[in-house]
Amino acid sequence: MLPSSLLTVWRRKGIIQPRYAKPSTENLQVANWLIEAYNHSIGKKKSILKKAVDDLECEGYDYRLVRGLSLLLDRRSIFRCTSQVEPPALRQKIFKATGRTGPATTPEQRKNIIRKIAYKLEISSEELEDSMYADLESELILKDFKPIAAQDLLEKYNLSLAQTLLFDSTELRFTVSANWQKIFFKTKRLGLIYDAYKDNEIWVKIDGPASLFKLTRRYGTAIAKLLPTIISSPKWTVEAKILWKFTNEIHTFKLESWKHSPLFGDKQAVEAYDSVVEEDFSKRFTALGSSWQLKREPEPVIAGKYVLIPDFSFEREGAKLYMEVVGFWTTEYLMRKIEKLKKTEDRMLVAVDETLACERMSKLDRQQSLNIIYYRSKIPLPPILRYLEDSYREVRMQQAEFLKNLNVTFTEPVIKFEEFAKRMGVSTEVVRAVLAEKNPSNYIMLPDSLIRKDKLEQLKKKLDQQIAEKGKLAFTEAVKIAQTEKVDLTSAIQTLGYKIIWRGINTENAEIIKLD
Amino acid sequence: MVRLWFDKGTLLLKGDVGTPYGKWDPRVGFFRIKALHYRDVLAYFEESHIALEDTVQQLPPLETLKSKVQLRSYQVSALGRWQRNGNRGVLVLPTAAGKTYIALKAVEELRTQTLIVVPTLDLIDQWRSRIKEWLGVESGAVGGGENVVRMITVATYDSAYLQAAFLGNRFRLIVFDEVHHLASPSYMQIAEMYTAPFRMGLTATYERIDERHQLLPRLVGDLVFNVAVDELAGKHLAPYTYEKKYVELAPEEQELYNKEMFTFRNYLREKRILMKSPRDFQRFIMITGRDPRARDALLARNRALKVALNSREKIKALAKLLEANKNEKTLIFTLHTDLVYDISRSFLIPAITYLTPKNERREILENFRKGNYNTIVTSQVLDEGIDVPDATIGYILSGTGSTRAYIQRLGRLLRKVEGKKARLIEIVSKETMEVGMSHRRRHKTKEKNVYASK
Repeated sequence: MLPSSLLTVWRRKGIIQPRYAKPSTENLQVANWLIEAYNHSIGKKKSILKKAVDDLECEGYDYRLVRGLSLLLDRRSIFRCTSQVEPPALRQKIFKATGRTGPATTPEQRKNIIRKIAYKLEISSEELEDSMYADLESELILKDFKPIAAQDLLEKYNLSLAQTLLFDSTELRFTVSANWQKIFFKTKRLGLIYDAYKDNEIWVKIDGPASLFKLTRRYGTAIAKLLPTIISSPKWTVEAKILWKFTNEIHTFKLESWKHSPLFGDKQAVEAYDSVVEEDFSKRFTALGSSWQLKREPEPVIAGKYVLIPDFSFEREGAKLYMEVVGFWTTEYLMRKIEKLKKTEDRMLVAVDETLACERMSKLDRQQSLNIIYYRSKIPLPPILRYLEDSYREVRMQQAEFLKNLNVTFTEPVIKFEEFAKRMGVSTEVVRAVLAEKNPSNYIMLPDSLIRKDKLEQLKKKLDQQIAEKGKLAFTEAVKIAQTEKVDLTSAIQTLGYKIIWRGINTENAEIIKLD
Repeated sequence: MVRLWFDKGTLLLKGDVGTPYGKWDPRVGFFRIKALHYRDVLAYFEESHIALEDTVQQLPPLETLKSKVQLRSYQVSALGRWQRNGNRGVLVLPTAAGKTYIALKAVEELRTQTLIVVPTLDLIDQWRSRIKEWLGVESGAVGGGENVVRMITVATYDSAYLQAAFLGNRFRLIVFDEVHHLASPSYMQIAEMYTAPFRMGLTATYERIDERHQLLPRLVGDLVFNVAVDELAGKHLAPYTYEKKYVELAPEEQELYNKEMFTFRNYLREKRILMKSPRDFQRFIMITGRDPRARDALLARNRALKVALNSREKIKALAKLLEANKNEKTLIFTLHTDLVYDISRSFLIPAITYLTPKNERREILENFRKGNYNTIVTSQVLDEGIDVPDATIGYILSGTGSTRAYIQRLGRLLRKVEGKKARLIEIVSKETMEVGMSHRRRHKTKEKNVYASK
């Protein structure tokens, strides 16, 4: 983050963006030049270093870029006072000397006082003069400097610019592909308030308690501090409202990972497990090889006015469930959690460690404890799988209900169940079952699809013709013909009234004959 | 049951009733109310006979005060007006009229948890030692690395603002020293985010150029007491005189000055920019962010100003004056930190700037008070309220062009010591725009009639 005087922006039609330092040859050159200046100034006074930086400004580079970069380099530097005598103690001696007699108004008086004190301290007059204010910022000596690559420096600078612009933000909205838990944790710690809503993706709006009363920049600094956590996720979109201080106009400041992450560099966070229990569970569940997709720290779930980030999600063909793992708990905490969970429209499973109870387990309402799984040290798999299967069945029933009531008229020659299921967000099995029941006229049911009757007839005609012409039809040949009609021959073969005669295991030798 | 509690600088209300002060917050599902309205909300529920579970305030324990505060007559009437106004309001008194004692008396009589908000770290120290001396208790401090809350706590405006979410419900009385600062857009949120029902504002300069002082009645209470320097000067305060010394720039300085000013004026003429009010200047500053040539012009102007303000001739004039008044307690003011250190090195006298560590600042002021040092050179840090008991001469080497700073610099010298006649001497460069700046300042002060004549 930089002082706002070093921020430079462009504004157009309600949009605001910092003027980033793109990694152009010129900018890399400026960065490199500054890094070199710091490298070469080790052992020199800060004021000399700053003079060199000033000179670069005078050469016509944007002073805000030069000073901004220099400030970031200051933060990688150690400046120390190297004086032999303690400057404050030395000053006290000098001032006490003039304290009673009055200021040294002539050069002679001054020289005398300095010589006397230097003599007592056994240093030279020059050393004394040098040490007098050696602890002033500008007099400090650059002791050490942690080098950085020019490209990295520009990336840090760009991120700092974005953060500095956020100082003037009144609110920020974002959506990310990961890292939710970390972001929410940090949001709370910074004293901000979030509000989530669904708009295709889960979006989170962030501002502070007093934002309710008026547009305020009060939370801008905290919002700026949150930015690095948000953009450490692989994909993100951030949109902030900036109350531009010079004009008091509201502008939109938008950041998108596909566009801006090259400017800020790659800073992806490593996913870490909250506890050993969770890691262990994740390993064992994955080892099962079930058809459920396990995901750690999925996207948040909206529960009334709260947002929950469950520990795990299980996904399978349109069915999605979440699981919360509860560590230390009290009955009250658990009740509150369940109250929260009840407000979600999603299916929730709660795994509670009995051994981590902070008080004696009291009888939680039977009905409420319905989806609570108690465990000791290890989250057990069987009850979870049972619950998943039960839910899956339920979900399938719901899907079937939904499909049955759905008014669809098919026109395509072939309807693949799998594709259709995907399109509708339901499972293939359900599609097969429901369509078998519905049995749309003009269509014939195949194991993996529906086929229009005329289409099937057409194919049958083609195949018959081939057999009539050649006397026999190779299986591979038939498959090709079927493909031109977009039909999978193996699944349709029985319905067509043919069968395959195998000769050995080679498909080349297989042949198709009529059933009767 | 209606429940009211504190949430990060605001109040939250749970229950089926709203108040005229609250607003529904859909983010959390409660009514949210500005902490400023705490008193009003309590009154509202009381009048409506609605039971309220109030867990807003988390007050530090009370301590026993052993007060020695004795008020002068005008201080008694100031306090009385404030108390009759429901323990709220702003008191305007000139510097050195003993505002601190009025506040301490108010704390003593209310005997309640109090936060005192001050502009600088120096003032934290000063208030704390006064509290120790006159009320006989240790006080807490928030700011400058300290963070201890006690019955009486002193905080800087910055810390009070930044920590509002944690401190807002911990006091029943809040005293704003130099209350004109409170009207700024960010600091006013202190008044809004603290629940303290009792509020006192203290200042010597109520009015602000930007007119924002009109916000203060809502934030702190009405202006209940106002007495100018004239009414007190001579009676309770030392009178003072004001002189102006003109110094000509050295020829090479004058030449440099003319050259730089030419660049600046040339740009203005070319772009047809008129410079009549401070607002015009602000507009120009905004242009400099976009136009590099405007920035060059600004830098040239600043260099010219620096030449005029830091002229060697002024240092020479200062040396003569210091020589002539060698045994008097002296303060030297200048705007530029660099110049402060220049003067400190040249005359071997202690310097106080914003860079001076807190301990050293305290040590210098302490030694000055005791008479171990007799001259201090300083930039703006001593501007407000810091007690420098018996300085008899002040030199101004450069001015800020602002009325308030000027009055308060005068105030620095207004300490009542028997037989003392304070002198303020401004050293101004001739034939530069600085004369205009200095003139404008004096002119304004005269109009307001706060300045005591010779």
